[in-house]
Amino acid sequence: MTAAVTLSFEADTRNVALARTVAATMAARADLPLDQLEDVRLAVDEAVSQAILAAPRGGVIDLEFLETPAGLDITVRAPSSTLDPPPTDTFSWMVLSALVDRVSAVVEDGQLRLDLQVVRGLTVDA
Amino acid sequence: MTSPPEGGRWGPAQRERERALLAELHSLPADDPRRDALRDELVVMHLPLVRHLARRYRDRGEQFEDLVQVGTVGLIKAVDRFDPDRGAAFSTFATPTILGEIKRHFRDSARAVHVPRRLQELHAAVARATEAMTQSLGRSPTVRELAAELDISEDEVLEAIEVRHAFAASSLDATAADGTSEGAVLADLLGDEDSALAAIEDRESLRPLLEALPERERQIIMLRFFRNQSQSQIAEQLGISQMHVSRLLARTLAQLRDGLAA
Repeated sequence: MTAAVTLSFEADTRNVALARTVAATMAARADLPLDQLEDVRLAVDEAVSQAILAAPRGGVIDLEFLETPAGLDITVRAPSSTLDPPPTDTFSWMVLSALVDRVSAVVEDGQLRLDLQVVRGLTVDA
Repeated sequence: MTSPPEGGRWGPAQRERERALLAELHSLPADDPRRDALRDELVVMHLPLVRHLARRYRDRGEQFEDLVQVGTVGLIKAVDRFDPDRGAAFSTFATPTILGEIKRHFRDSARAVHVPRRLQELHAAVARATEAMTQSLGRSPTVRELAAELDISEDEVLEAIEVRHAFAASSLDATAADGTSEGAVLADLLGDEDSALAAIEDRESLRPLLEALPERERQIIMLRFFRNQSQSQIAEQLGISQMHVSRLLARTLAQLRDGLAA
């Protein structure tokens, strides 16, 4: 088990590319196959974009990666201007849930937290 | 380069017609109204050449018909500038002008980014190995597996993977398939699209965006998100590389997101 890697950046869409690149590197370190690595990249893109939307101007997004024995856990935290987590009946959420094995969102103490869980799929594709 | 490379070779009659048209056009003053009809006929005759040249660039993220259109602008310029007395074949003369317009189109849309040779080669090697290993493993390889296979570092593999996203519109993908086997798959998918969209609150905004997508992009979105297929499975089904699927997926999702936010 390795220590978590955290990236903090201002809630600005220009930072999404940065988040994607770090996501790909972390997915490679977690030994995910390329299909999943690319899915993680897209998922982080989607999750970070949602967080940026939720955050007020100048808010800071924290993106945390944690290698687990099973794969990779990703957490996105952002100050949230609303009390509700993003709705789950949207295309964006559908995309997010298809890209990772588990996704959940909560708003606590004015902070949005998105949790993404990726289980390494080294077995043969169905 | 002889015209037309597509749709069969020209017979002597067509070559004669081309010569006559070019000679007459050249003999007329620039403001003569008869020039239009001559020029039109010459342009139509050489459209296969434009299509042939545009095809070389079709996988760089631009719509094929757009490329044909800008290539045709080059063709018209060539028709106007051609001097039959110089002795060169018209198609030889026109080719660089047509290519010039197509390339300029990429430059203008700020998409023709130069990819260093080393990275191009690295990318190609990783793409080939990915394909071969996906076959033998039954799943896509990991970065570590690719590094071992190619005897390069994991960082280099990542660099190769990264480059295709960074240079999204360049010529990194060879045209593995020219869009074969697509129509049937799409028809089959539309039912799935309907049922998947029924559960989505923003479907009314999404639907026109999906419908506006090129067929292949739309299929990839449906197969990935409505049928939950992996990128490798989609790649196999559409006859393109996994890397290509991944790029199209990233680009299309970004497009849809922009569209939904608009």
